[in-house]
Amino acid sequence: MTLERAFSVSSLLLAAVSFIGLVLTDEIPVGLVVLGLSALAVRIAGACGWGGDRLVVWITGRSESTWTAVLIVVFLCFGVDLLLISRDILPASVNFLILLMVVKLFHLRHRKDFLQLYAISLLALLAAAALTVDLWYAAVFTAYVFAAIWTLILSHLRTEAGEHTQHEAARQTSAPPAEAITARFFWTTNIIAVGSFCLTLVIFLLIPRIGTGFFQKNRTETIRTSGFSEKVDLGVIGAIKLDPTVVMRVELPEQRGPAKEALYFRGAAYDTYDGRSWANRSVIRRTLDRTADGWFVVSTPDAAPVAESSGLRQDILIEALDTTVLFGASFIETIKGGFQSVHVDGVGGLSLAAPTSARFQYQVWSIPHRVREPDRMADAGSARFLQVPDMSPRVAALAREVAVESRTPSEKARAIERYLQEAYQYSLDVGTAVSASPIEDFLFTRKTGYCEHYATAMVVMLRTLGIPARLVTGFLPGLWNDFGNYYSVRQQDAHAWVEVYFQDAGWVTFDPTPIVPAAPLAMFSHVSKVVDSLRLKWDRYVVQYSFRDQMAAAKMLREGGETVRSEVSGLLSLLTRSLASVKAWMIESASAYGGILLWILAVVALVMGVVIWNRRARRRESRHGDPRTDGQIAASHVYERMLRILESQGLRKPPGATPLEFARQVARERGEAARCVEAVTGIYCRVRFGQAPLSPDDTRHAHELLAGLQAAGREA
Amino acid sequence: MRLERFREFFRWFYRYRSLRVTPEGTKFLLLTLAIGLAALNTGNNLLYLLLAMMLSLIVTSGILSERCLRHLLIRRVIPEQLMANRPATMTVSLTNHQPTASSFSLRVMDVMAGTVVDRGIHILHLSAGASVSHSYPVLFTRRGRHRMDGVKIETRFPFGLFVKGANFFLVSDLVVYPELRPLPEHLVHDLAVLGHDQAVSKRGPGSGLYNLREYRQGDDSRAIHWKTSARQSRLIVKETETEDRRQVTLALPTGIPSDLALECFEQAVRLTASLAAYFLRQGFAVRLLIGAHEVSHGQGQDMGEPHRHRLFHALALCEASPVGQFDEAVDGLRALDGVRTLATRTAQGELTIVVMSWPDPSVEAACQGASRVVRAWETP
Repeated sequence: MTLERAFSVSSLLLAAVSFIGLVLTDEIPVGLVVLGLSALAVRIAGACGWGGDRLVVWITGRSESTWTAVLIVVFLCFGVDLLLISRDILPASVNFLILLMVVKLFHLRHRKDFLQLYAISLLALLAAAALTVDLWYAAVFTAYVFAAIWTLILSHLRTEAGEHTQHEAARQTSAPPAEAITARFFWTTNIIAVGSFCLTLVIFLLIPRIGTGFFQKNRTETIRTSGFSEKVDLGVIGAIKLDPTVVMRVELPEQRGPAKEALYFRGAAYDTYDGRSWANRSVIRRTLDRTADGWFVVSTPDAAPVAESSGLRQDILIEALDTTVLFGASFIETIKGGFQSVHVDGVGGLSLAAPTSARFQYQVWSIPHRVREPDRMADAGSARFLQVPDMSPRVAALAREVAVESRTPSEKARAIERYLQEAYQYSLDVGTAVSASPIEDFLFTRKTGYCEHYATAMVVMLRTLGIPARLVTGFLPGLWNDFGNYYSVRQQDAHAWVEVYFQDAGWVTFDPTPIVPAAPLAMFSHVSKVVDSLRLKWDRYVVQYSFRDQMAAAKMLREGGETVRSEVSGLLSLLTRSLASVKAWMIESASAYGGILLWILAVVALVMGVVIWNRRARRRESRHGDPRTDGQIAASHVYERMLRILESQGLRKPPGATPLEFARQVARERGEAARCVEAVTGIYCRVRFGQAPLSPDDTRHAHELLAGLQAAGREA
Repeated sequence: MRLERFREFFRWFYRYRSLRVTPEGTKFLLLTLAIGLAALNTGNNLLYLLLAMMLSLIVTSGILSERCLRHLLIRRVIPEQLMANRPATMTVSLTNHQPTASSFSLRVMDVMAGTVVDRGIHILHLSAGASVSHSYPVLFTRRGRHRMDGVKIETRFPFGLFVKGANFFLVSDLVVYPELRPLPEHLVHDLAVLGHDQAVSKRGPGSGLYNLREYRQGDDSRAIHWKTSARQSRLIVKETETEDRRQVTLALPTGIPSDLALECFEQAVRLTASLAAYFLRQGFAVRLLIGAHEVSHGQGQDMGEPHRHRLFHALALCEASPVGQFDEAVDGLRALDGVRTLATRTAQGELTIVVMSWPDPSVEAACQGASRVVRAWETP
């Protein structure tokens, strides 16, 4: 490919990459997308010689006044868009940018036109960065870096080649300018692009993060979710049980693989059931204290301390939900994140002051089995957790019947949980008819339902037996992404379960919903796992990268450095001790065997010194100025071998004879060897003195001839 | 103290390297600044990513341009003889000693007296291990010493955003000889006559006939002139005329009044050089007296080109000696020793020509014994 063509193609590809970035934000009107893609397709096809030349020539051949008029129209469109259509500076500017790009694609005459196109493409990429944070931006950005390197280098070489032609045309003393893109140039430029990309990542990680936030508008859409407000109607969770939207990703950084125990990511809890809906009537609401290193502590100071080893650490990246609830595995002990304050209510639910408008991440440390929680016990005996709505006495009778053989509250709870799991069927299809008492319908009529029904039934039945219980909503862990080592929690993983209070154990989790077999994995589930994992990494290490991450990395490096330092000093001290013991042994041996050892050592050192010096001298000699090429050296070796063979057969080359003279001498004295000697001599002279390359055929032919010569000599 | 160290470092750095921004580079830097401000304002990490990309392009540009300028070997070939106002050709050769990397977009410039002179040498691509030579014309308008401080090589590779220059200290001290101008016709005629008139025959080895005399015991029998011997019936031998070269001494007084323009002295120097070139062409052995400094005729292998170079070298480096005001010089207080004793130092048969740069009566008086006094101000 010629320099000119490569330059045109790379410039257009640069514009195309940035345009695709804008298209993928989903904020561009369809008409502009079609216009832009068409323009790019026509221009790239023309530049690559695939057709469309006539159209391109016709368009680009318009006069300057025509282009000026077009630009004026574009500016007018921008004004109209800003004032009447979009009424927002960013969308109007993006649309204007696209129109400018389309105009510029067909008006690339001078160098400044190309520079303007590059500036437009950079602004387009900038606009895409402002409009989205999705994973695909990484691919667009990477492609843009490569295209930018190629384009800038080719643009520079093209400019220089033009100036070189003007300056050097008369001289013709330098090498002609490289008009064609060679393979070497191609790979070198790609290596430069890779290096620049890696440098970009390093600089990105090192730039201090400061964000003032002026004039910033948030454009992220929140995910609507259900089941975590102060009052939830029975059935709201069922509405989202088919929604595959990912709501959060949960990593377990301190272990490899999924958790061994069943995990429940607790969200909200409810204490009051009126027969159709659950509500949280707790009046307690406390702001959590924060420790020096930023952790919000859930337990009050008088709570019993718990060993950290029994806890579960989770790093949660949660989408922008329309709720203030913070999720974590039961029961959350401490939580840390980029929020100003965290609140806890009387049923153990954690929440922020206001919903977030963007994806965010936080860390949670939970204790799956928390024993004796004085702060949580204070409210446990309240009648709130024993409240039952007005309902048929059949529910209480059923509860007594199920728990008849159980003595302790724990056994009763287990019996009811087991009964509900075995006697009822799980189904999301519970009909649309509104029931006066959904739980009675579930227990006695339909006998099918989903998690809310099961959980509500268990809470009501336990309360009729005088056992405090509450409904809890949250999420099940969802799909384990073994590629990225995290849980991918979706809307469909929303769940309701039960917490039962026992005097000696506190609140304990029960799940009466029967286990539903997991759906078979879709064909591309592995690919989607990889993509989802990449999305998590992208969010964690790029989009959410913050000053805290930089400090953590610096701290890790410092700790790593100290570890390395201590390891190295340990190794050094071991080495020193070993050397000291060797020295002691040597002294002992020397004194025992007297001078013999010394002499032996001296001789060995001398011999080694001579050998090493010899090798170095030979290496230096061979390195110094042998002007011959590899082919010439090989040809010389072949010729020398021929001379050795002839010498062994009694034909010695006189010192003053040239190779050709010697060949003639051999032809006179040994006619049968003449053909071989002439051929080898010819190859030698051609390669050694004629600068001809030594081909593999020549080498093979020469060796065959020499083998024949040797054999003939043996026979003679 | 720290500030001084930074200054020291930058002075050292800029001694060997220079950096300036092209117009495109200025726009690039402004755009980078704008993106940086946007990133700072919004805290958007994707804007930081773009900023990192711009910064990495700047760093990459610096690394690659530095790589282009490393391991370059420069040689300059200077003509043997340089004359004022006469174009000469210099050659500069550039070798890329890098094992694998090529150098791109190199512009080679001379550095003379601290000034960078663009010779229009532009090398688009220099492969690893390759050499390239470029010749270019030079013209020195002034005789004397000229110093070429070195060579500066600039490159805009890879992106054309910055121009990085590398200074190579390749000091060359040049001596530019005085300009040679054609002598006026009347002067040439006068000199030709003078040369003829001053010619004195001498007996010695040669081919010309000097004398015929009677044969004496010990004479070489090959010298017998048989025709004359036959005519006179006695042995006559031929004595030959010596083929020694004719000699000329050119004297150039260097004293001039301090209020006199130096151009007068330069005119005299040019005339002296032109006279020397004329006499050398005529086969004369030329001796030069510049003030009190003498460049002798030279003998044997010292003659020819080496002697010619010595003469012009001396004329190239001679300097005028201001002797005070015009009136003082007219009083004749200052007459050069060399000119004053010219008559006593001139061998018989030797031409002596004094070139005067200004009407110095004392020199006029001292030049009574000279063969010719040439007044530079009268000569075009």
